Amino acid sequence: MSIKIGLAGNPNSGKTTLFNALTGATQYVGNWPGVTVEKKSGKLKGNKEVEIIDLPGIYSLSPYTLEEVVTRRFLIDDHPDVVINIIDATNIERNLYLTTQILEFGIPTVIALNMMDLIRKKGDHISCKALSKQLGCPVVEISALKEEGIKDAVNKAIEIAKQGRIKKFALPMMEEVEEAITQIKDLLSVHNTTLSLNNDWIAIKLFERDEEIVKQLSLDQSTMTQIEEIIKACEIELDDDCESIITSERYAYIGDVVSHVVKKGNQSKETVSDRIDKIITNRFLALPIFVLIMWFVYYISVSSLGTIVTDWTNDTLFGEIIQGNMQNFLETANVAPWLTALICDGIIGGVGAVLGFVPQIMLLFFFLAILEDCGYMARVAFIMDRIFRKFGLSGKSFIPMLIGSGCGVPGIMASRTLENDKDRKMTIMLTTFIPCGAKLPIIALFAGAMFGGASWVAPTVYFMCITMVVICGMILKQTKLFAGEPAPFVMELPTYHIPGLKGVLIHMWDRGKGFIIKAGTVIFVACGLIWFLQSFSWSLEMVEGEGSILASIGNVVAPIFAPLGFGNWEAAVATITGLVAKENVVATYGVLYGIADATEETSDLLSVIAANFTAVSAFSFIAFNMLCAPCFAAVGAIRREMGSWKWTFIATGFQTFTAYLVALLINKVGTALLLGGSIIEAIIAIAIVAIVIISVFIWGRGKSQETSFDV
Amino acid sequence: MSLIICQEGEVYPIKKITGNDETKKFLNSLGFVVGEEVSIISKNGDNMIVNIKDSRIALGRSMASRIMI
Repeated sequence: MSIKIGLAGNPNSGKTTLFNALTGATQYVGNWPGVTVEKKSGKLKGNKEVEIIDLPGIYSLSPYTLEEVVTRRFLIDDHPDVVINIIDATNIERNLYLTTQILEFGIPTVIALNMMDLIRKKGDHISCKALSKQLGCPVVEISALKEEGIKDAVNKAIEIAKQGRIKKFALPMMEEVEEAITQIKDLLSVHNTTLSLNNDWIAIKLFERDEEIVKQLSLDQSTMTQIEEIIKACEIELDDDCESIITSERYAYIGDVVSHVVKKGNQSKETVSDRIDKIITNRFLALPIFVLIMWFVYYISVSSLGTIVTDWTNDTLFGEIIQGNMQNFLETANVAPWLTALICDGIIGGVGAVLGFVPQIMLLFFFLAILEDCGYMARVAFIMDRIFRKFGLSGKSFIPMLIGSGCGVPGIMASRTLENDKDRKMTIMLTTFIPCGAKLPIIALFAGAMFGGASWVAPTVYFMCITMVVICGMILKQTKLFAGEPAPFVMELPTYHIPGLKGVLIHMWDRGKGFIIKAGTVIFVACGLIWFLQSFSWSLEMVEGEGSILASIGNVVAPIFAPLGFGNWEAAVATITGLVAKENVVATYGVLYGIADATEETSDLLSVIAANFTAVSAFSFIAFNMLCAPCFAAVGAIRREMGSWKWTFIATGFQTFTAYLVALLINKVGTALLLGGSIIEAIIAIAIVAIVIISVFIWGRGKSQETSFDV
Repeated sequence: MSLIICQEGEVYPIKKITGNDETKKFLNSLGFVVGEEVSIISKNGDNMIVNIKDSRIALGRSMASRIMI
């Protein structure tokens, strides 16, 4: 007999950690609420008959957030045999609020008390036995992180699922409420409901005026009016609204349960987390601390330590050892020269150029994983909310962007945690502005070629991108599509803890591996293709440089980029191949110029780039490639999350157009200021950008007035 | 008075949560209910971090202003 177990509980209570421990999966676990936005299923290790479903974290079963809707639909439609309700013992009261609702729902339930070690550390005591007696369901103490007690929890769940008999749970309520709910239940028993649900639960939900359940039940009008009358009468009698009545009944009951179960030790008023928060979220220190931390992270991973490792991989490992030896081997084996060139220059050159950045990317992910695990990232959303809100964005938009600094695809998906549809759409459009791991090599390559690997380049680019998010958010808010206040900010902040090395390394690898896999697949094929196109002319003769197919294609497109300062065919081709995968930008240069030349001090690649670009046009190139339409995979994610092609085109079109304007501005103004270029051109560029912004404002204002007239 | 004019480090019992909508429901499920004690850990402009029922919640201005103490 196959058994379906659902894992339900509050956000950040350890559901995914337990899921991974039980199934051997490596689902993403983060130390902030809302990491899991979709349910995930897996088979229990050692027993394929048992299916385990990890549900998004929720605070209650009323459909307020998307996560609550997902979890509730699962409970109603998928009929799990048993639910393991994970409770964070450190705030048991709040966690039990959901528990009472799950128990009411009438599915066999096992409670797994997690984080009991923290309770003991605090000097508190919780009795599992007493809790089990109070709630009438099994309670098991577990540590999801240390994988303690998890077997017991699952065995218990399987046991009660097989028994299939449930001890009925009924929330003790005031007489008046009890009466009203019984009346509703009586009405329901006459009515034929299509839902195979517990009538007690439905009655309570109806009493709470839960719209979802009303929709699903499709009761006739007269029954609905009768129910409404019952609720109204009760509300008048108790002088409170129906929702609040049930809520306070629930908390009253929980307070009673907790008083029987929990013994508090010595109460220290301020926890370590509180003290850290006082400094880190301080109104004056919060931002400087954030900037300092991010600067340090990028300084270590991109500039100082990262460069040393990347230089070694590029010059020594790929340049000398692999490419050199492969060349010698192929030549002594008398392989056709074109094939040698394809393998050495095309594939090793291109793929190597990308793989060379793996150390830098891994270092960056390592630091980001530490920041995430310790609980700092959730605070960043809070700190950023103050600034973002001024520009009409929610601080929660910052989390997708942060995840997007690893890869845009999960970043775009993380936008689901935003409650408001307009906030969500706007966040999707702006998330890929933040440089992802694959865009990082572009910055690193140009920082090395043009700016001597200066440590200010990477942080500057990141802050430029964040600034663009803010500016574009502001401008988009002016249009009818996005006008309106962002959803109010509420977010639970996790307790700070010292991250475990294993967890951090798993995170790092999780995010970084995609990069390596892509290098072996998409980039590999693309490099071969680019090599072919740049080595042959249209008449299929082997040529060098200008006469090649690639050059002629590039030359057609290049004029578009001329105003941006990089109107050469190489840059044009690199930008276009970047649409397939952003790593291709660097890979293209790798194929065209080879990654390294051991006889010279600086590699060919860097010197060619230095010759083709000025400091200003290099920065403009970086800016364009950071902001323009993302890679195909991310465009696919935008399509899925937006749910329409129209919105996908709006998003990518907006991104590319913005990128063009920014690059234009950087190139023209930068050239005028730094390189003695034409001031008139700079003024024209500023004027163009100003006109675009003003016309959006005017158009937007006209639109918003129209809508206000409608109201 | 509303939570936004409160001092850092102080503890207050909640008197009322204004409005009656999804947001109130959500605040309820987070533990913000009448009679519960809320303490203010940190303020950052109009945003604040509060402690309620042993958990730390970050609140924006519009949320905090609905919690009367």
